[in-house]
Amino acid sequence: MTKNSEKTIRRDKAHKAFGHATTTELSRKAFIGELPIKQRACLEIIGFGGKRKVIELGQGQLSIGRVPECEIQLSPTKVSRIHARVLFRNEEYHLEDLGSTNGTYVNGIKIVKCVLRNNDQIDIGGVKILFSEEKALEKT
Amino acid sequence: MTPASEAEALVTFWGTRGSIATPGRITEKYGGNTPCVTVASQDTHLILDAGTGIRNLGIELAEKAHETGKALSVHLFLSHTHWDHIQGLPFFQPAYLKDTTLTIYGSPRKGHFLASVLKGFMDLEYFPVGMSSFSADIRIQEIAKGPLQVGAFAVDWQEQVYHPGGSVRYRLRANGTTIIYATDVELNHIFHAGRSSQEHKALAQDYLDFISHADLLIADGQYTAHEYERKAGWGHSSIELIVDVAYQAQVKQLAIFHHDPQHSDTFLDELWMRNRSKYHSVYKNMDIFWAREGLTLAV
Repeated sequence: MTKNSEKTIRRDKAHKAFGHATTTELSRKAFIGELPIKQRACLEIIGFGGKRKVIELGQGQLSIGRVPECEIQLSPTKVSRIHARVLFRNEEYHLEDLGSTNGTYVNGIKIVKCVLRNNDQIDIGGVKILFSEEKALEKT
Repeated sequence: MTPASEAEALVTFWGTRGSIATPGRITEKYGGNTPCVTVASQDTHLILDAGTGIRNLGIELAEKAHETGKALSVHLFLSHTHWDHIQGLPFFQPAYLKDTTLTIYGSPRKGHFLASVLKGFMDLEYFPVGMSSFSADIRIQEIAKGPLQVGAFAVDWQEQVYHPGGSVRYRLRANGTTIIYATDVELNHIFHAGRSSQEHKALAQDYLDFISHADLLIADGQYTAHEYERKAGWGHSSIELIVDVAYQAQVKQLAIFHHDPQHSDTFLDELWMRNRSKYHSVYKNMDIFWAREGLTLAV
């Protein structure tokens, strides 16, 4: 008996038992290919001048400080010129203080470095920043 | 710019979980790796315990050695040899680099010598690669009575009796900064109000003297007081007790460490929210926090 005839017999038995049913064959490769998952993370500046600002984080690094050269510029005087940076390493976001005068805090703890987790609350020179991340479908 | 001044010691938590590694979504904030902490000052790097957290540290150290071309000199202090404190050692990459010098320090009070305990746990019955596969220069040293000078750090220690099998607490001093690593000890047994024997009083005083005025105390806080009632004799302390004791000893910063495997991020966050006003109002001048994997502090 060939493989095809075996399949036909099995299908006929299935039809008798369950009525007409159709099966779509999925290849795992094709399935995964249709779901491009992207790690998305953002910093939401929530405590500065009453304005909320959301900055999407990429997979490089962003500096935070008072000078215009910083990708995230915060003007309060308690923020150092180049205060801290956020970088993506080993599939995680890391926050590093860069020798600031008034320190960098995560959930109230003064840090030198910290791996960031969802809903961490950052304080940089009195500016409150919320870190959030998710894994979601990539926009096409 | 440097992240911290040369006078400061940098403390990094690589593993904070007690008893068994607890990977997964519900522990990703405080971490699922078992105990491993580094303390660095100037060019001296000390490692406290070799729980599963030491694997990530090893990856970072090996990368650094590769980039700089400099051989690693690593000092590992073991509190004791229970699984959760040594299980990462076979996965510590620098141990397989021939230019590395790895000195492992531990208690001299073991029934078996430290060297045979470590060799035994990498026996083929338990692990596919024996300790003889380590290419590094491995030196296993039982700690001597007096303080030990390791680079910038003066290290002294005390035996902790109320942990099954015993454990050691370490005090690290450099540039006027004192950091204490005192995990795996049942302080509730020593400080219990009902225990007034001379032995308990002496043990309590020893502990208070050892941690007195520490800039950072990394302490066993595996249970809540309620949980401790069912876990007495298991060798760990309650958070409520260590907070009181640390405050009494005028500790400046207290890291609650060796989180119970059942304590999820949500549990620890809720515990913090319930207690934070008390911590801020009653325990003034002492910062209390839950130790968290991936966190580096300047002390």
